[in-house]
Amino acid sequence: MDKPTNIRNMSVIAHVDHGKSTLTDSLVSKAGIIAQAKAGDMRFTDTREDEKERGITIKSTAISMYFEVDKEHLGSIKQKTEGNEFLINLIDSPGHVDFSSEVTAALRVTDGALVVVDCIEGVCVQTETVLRQALAERIRPVLVINKVDRALLELQVDKESLFQTFSRTIESVNVIISTYHDPVLGDVQVYPDQGTVAFGSGLHGWGFTLRQFANRYAKKFGVDREKMMAKLWGDNFFNPATKKWSTKATDADGKQLERAFNMFVLDPIYKIFDAVMNFKKEQVFNMLEKLDVKLTQEEKDLDGKALLKVCMRKFLPAGDSMLEMIVINLPSPATAQRYRVETLYEGPMDDESAIGIRDCDPKAPLVLYVSKMVPTSDKGRFYAFGRVFSGTVRSGPKYRIQGPNYLPGKKDDLFVKAVQRTVLMMGRYIEPIEDCPAGNIVGLVGIDQFLLKSGTVTESETAHNMKVMKFSVSPVVQVAVEVKNAADLPKLVEGLKRLSKSDPCVQVSINESGEHIVAGAGELHLEICLKDLEEDHAGVPLKKSDPVVGYRETVKAESSIVALSKSQNKHNRLYVKAEPLDEELSKAIEAGKINPRDDFKARARILADEYGWDVTDARKIWCFGPETTGPNLLVDVTKGVQYLNEIKDSCVAGFQWATKEGVCAEENMRGVRFNVIDVTLHADAIHRGGGQIIPTTRRVCYAACLLATPGIQEPIYLVEIQCPENAIGGIYSCLNRRRGQVFSEEQRPGTPMFTVKAYLPVNESFGFTADLRSHTQGQAFPQSVFDHWEVMNGSPIEKGSKLEELVRNIRIRKGLKPEIPPLDTYYDKL
Amino acid sequence: MFYAVGLGLCDEKDITIRGLEAVKRSTRVYLEAYTSILMVSKEKLEEFYGRPVILADREMVELQSDEILRDADKEDVSFLVVGDPFGATTHTDLLLRARALGIQTRVIHNASIMNAVGACGLQLYNFGQAVSLVFFTETWKPDSFYDHIRENADLGMHTLVLLDIKVKEQSEENLIRGRKIYEPPRYMSIPTAVSQLLDVEATRKQGVLAPDSTLAIALSRVGSQTDGEQRIVCGTLRELAVQESSIFGEPLHSLVIVGRRLHPLEVEFAEVFAVNKDNLRNVARTVYGCTLD
Repeated sequence: MDKPTNIRNMSVIAHVDHGKSTLTDSLVSKAGIIAQAKAGDMRFTDTREDEKERGITIKSTAISMYFEVDKEHLGSIKQKTEGNEFLINLIDSPGHVDFSSEVTAALRVTDGALVVVDCIEGVCVQTETVLRQALAERIRPVLVINKVDRALLELQVDKESLFQTFSRTIESVNVIISTYHDPVLGDVQVYPDQGTVAFGSGLHGWGFTLRQFANRYAKKFGVDREKMMAKLWGDNFFNPATKKWSTKATDADGKQLERAFNMFVLDPIYKIFDAVMNFKKEQVFNMLEKLDVKLTQEEKDLDGKALLKVCMRKFLPAGDSMLEMIVINLPSPATAQRYRVETLYEGPMDDESAIGIRDCDPKAPLVLYVSKMVPTSDKGRFYAFGRVFSGTVRSGPKYRIQGPNYLPGKKDDLFVKAVQRTVLMMGRYIEPIEDCPAGNIVGLVGIDQFLLKSGTVTESETAHNMKVMKFSVSPVVQVAVEVKNAADLPKLVEGLKRLSKSDPCVQVSINESGEHIVAGAGELHLEICLKDLEEDHAGVPLKKSDPVVGYRETVKAESSIVALSKSQNKHNRLYVKAEPLDEELSKAIEAGKINPRDDFKARARILADEYGWDVTDARKIWCFGPETTGPNLLVDVTKGVQYLNEIKDSCVAGFQWATKEGVCAEENMRGVRFNVIDVTLHADAIHRGGGQIIPTTRRVCYAACLLATPGIQEPIYLVEIQCPENAIGGIYSCLNRRRGQVFSEEQRPGTPMFTVKAYLPVNESFGFTADLRSHTQGQAFPQSVFDHWEVMNGSPIEKGSKLEELVRNIRIRKGLKPEIPPLDTYYDKL
Repeated sequence: MFYAVGLGLCDEKDITIRGLEAVKRSTRVYLEAYTSILMVSKEKLEEFYGRPVILADREMVELQSDEILRDADKEDVSFLVVGDPFGATTHTDLLLRARALGIQTRVIHNASIMNAVGACGLQLYNFGQAVSLVFFTETWKPDSFYDHIRENADLGMHTLVLLDIKVKEQSEENLIRGRKIYEPPRYMSIPTAVSQLLDVEATRKQGVLAPDSTLAIALSRVGSQTDGEQRIVCGTLRELAVQESSIFGEPLHSLVIVGRRLHPLEVEFAEVFAVNKDNLRNVARTVYGCTLD
């Protein structure tokens, strides 16, 4: 723990049902936390009742493990290490797309990722999403191809096809990696011959990398281990007759040669499978003896799959090979923080905190990032879960607890408090520790009430925040909740607060008509949140509305004339035009690539070079909104106006208000640029305070929008459906009825399964999964992930149109007047 | 007829006889109650006028002017303004609306701080542009008044600084949420005003408000007829900054920044108000170039 070079912080990431938690069991069993025999069935990291019931992971769970690597292999570790003892902090994360935010929170505190891919299903939509996120966080991946037992037992493929399946999967992972390649990270593609790919079965508890086989054969053939590894993959063939290696599939006589991988790696496995499943016990025991694997008498009495499991687990224990792969190939905090510091820390790279992070120095001032809140057994209290990036955290001293809105030198969103206790998170258990130095993952007790969801804990007065996490999913589905008994209302309010803390992504708010709104990433996410709310956080019976979708308001053209609004006292006038923002730019802002906290000159350069902005305009962006980070911009394009800087703050406040509650339906605005063209102001500051300017800015923004062909955007899911061929018809009819559009349909090579990809409006997705199942006899499984916002056809201000009806319904739901207010509510004539 | 009636500075009795006649004739009487305050309550006014008085806050004056002007073409409506209707706060917008509705208007003037400031002994002839000083917040510190004071100072003129009052204002958050929750009334005190002035001087550094060489006069409750209620305190900015706020009296306060065109008689008049008489004379002589006896 005190040696950052010997720590590995890693997350296990994958598509849903590719076997993360099961595989994690193998690793945990290696560390002696659970019995080896139970590994694979227990899902140690699924701690919640509903996780066990549904068989899916909902919350990410951390475990710290101790591992000793064989001294022989120390030479293979290409970074600084001390001794052969390692601490592995592992976080098992959910695979279902609705819980991607949990993955984001896990990735932030780790440096490496174990990417698990099902060898039959291959790379799926969530594999790509999480891998992309990992690379954006500068996290180095290693790959596990899981469920190999299924390929052997169910599909019965031959060795060469299995090799082809493996290499296709690796190829598609590498395609993703190179697409999102970050030059600072170097080459992070995965190669079996370099030991960064493992194969195995989490369920049966066995697995291997080429390193294990290379070890065996290196001794036998008397060649170098690394060279042997290279021979065991790709187009390398061994000619048993001549005892020579070749890169061609045929020998001099044109005789077919067997691929080295098939011959040396797959062959023994195939033989064991074959012998066990065909009840040739003697043969099995002979083979095992040759392989130096010893079985107890009890084990020898087993049959079929149970015997297979034991044999394989003894022959190729998954824990060893995976942990070895992790230790050898994934970076230590000391290595990783050196290149991650620029993407993690907001402040200048030469201040004491940045240097502490860079060097992973336990003696530097503390910098700790809290990535999520974990409920404690004490109801309503949470562990702040995070990673120490610099310094050492201990109970006692007072630390600066900085929320996401903290600015250095200001007092907003800042608390100075002591940590009560520090603990290690061990799946279902916690273990108190005295202190925790840089490079480790830790839980903090007693600061949960000072942080909403995440934040930075520091020691130095000059410390800036760690960058906030960008989630790949957004809370686009909402429900309104109310209590069944009015007396329970305070419990609901308190419960909502707790819910909001316990989930990185959920959003809780109160709308105009006083309804409590819970917004989540998808139907499943909401279902879980509401269940938690009802049974745990609030503990009172609730009424829930049908889920509804959040829309975005935008404009489709530049304002036809300059909008003008006068302040209440008539002494101030604002002239503003609205225009659409480039969709790419909106996306870049949402992804955090263009950021309100960027240096304005650098940002102006990017806007000019990549988005065709005028540099002068780009330098005069007053703010982003809503919430000061959203994809709408307020730009000052005035020429030589006196006192303008004195009303800037009020304009910003009014703009935040307007973009949060758009003119049509009080939904968030998206992709609108407001240009302040001119202003007329009273000479005396007292007559142009916030009370005058804030409402005026809001009104002028609304007027500008109404003049700029207002439009509505709706959220669209990307749906990926796995199914056999005969179910495709059912999928199409199901999608057609829900305005879905199929854009790709492919057969997965080597399998009878098809992958259909489609865009589906989120609004049409409620009950889609059930509908699809019933139309395909339960053979099609969809995964939906928010993909983009799409402008809807039509105009909300056209009377009798569909959009007008949509807007009217939203307005009624929110307790507003049904009609969009006419222009002259906001537009003042001269 | 729509009357805009000045109420003067102090209490119910400062209204002019012509103003009182207008009030008594009116069917509705509004009291504008957000740009300044009288030293007496609304009930006192009602008792004296023998008429009910409707308090008109900012929202009413700025957003519901139609209600104020209702039927003013047929009957008389009075709109009472503390000080003078065309004093510091002008109600031109209301009069413009009345004109647009074809309503006849008449203005009945009264004393305002704009002229009563003469009480401090400085000649009204030598005042330049008046400025307001708003409450600074963490993020909002408008300092354009500094330029106005400098322009006055360049011509040697005095500057009347009107101090912010917040009688019925919403906080920014409540304003955005549309909640009609108002903050408690606040009146800027002289120490706050002086420290804000010195803050701005510290950032602008043009010497217009140099703490030791700028004379200023603080006034409170000008026009009060109660003994000791009206206070005038004179000294350099630094001297004023360190005084107990109680010596400046009750709100409302105003501040005068003394210009270079200082007459010896003005100094003589102000001497009795000085925090430190010797220093006042000294600064007047050395900095302002006054020839004193």
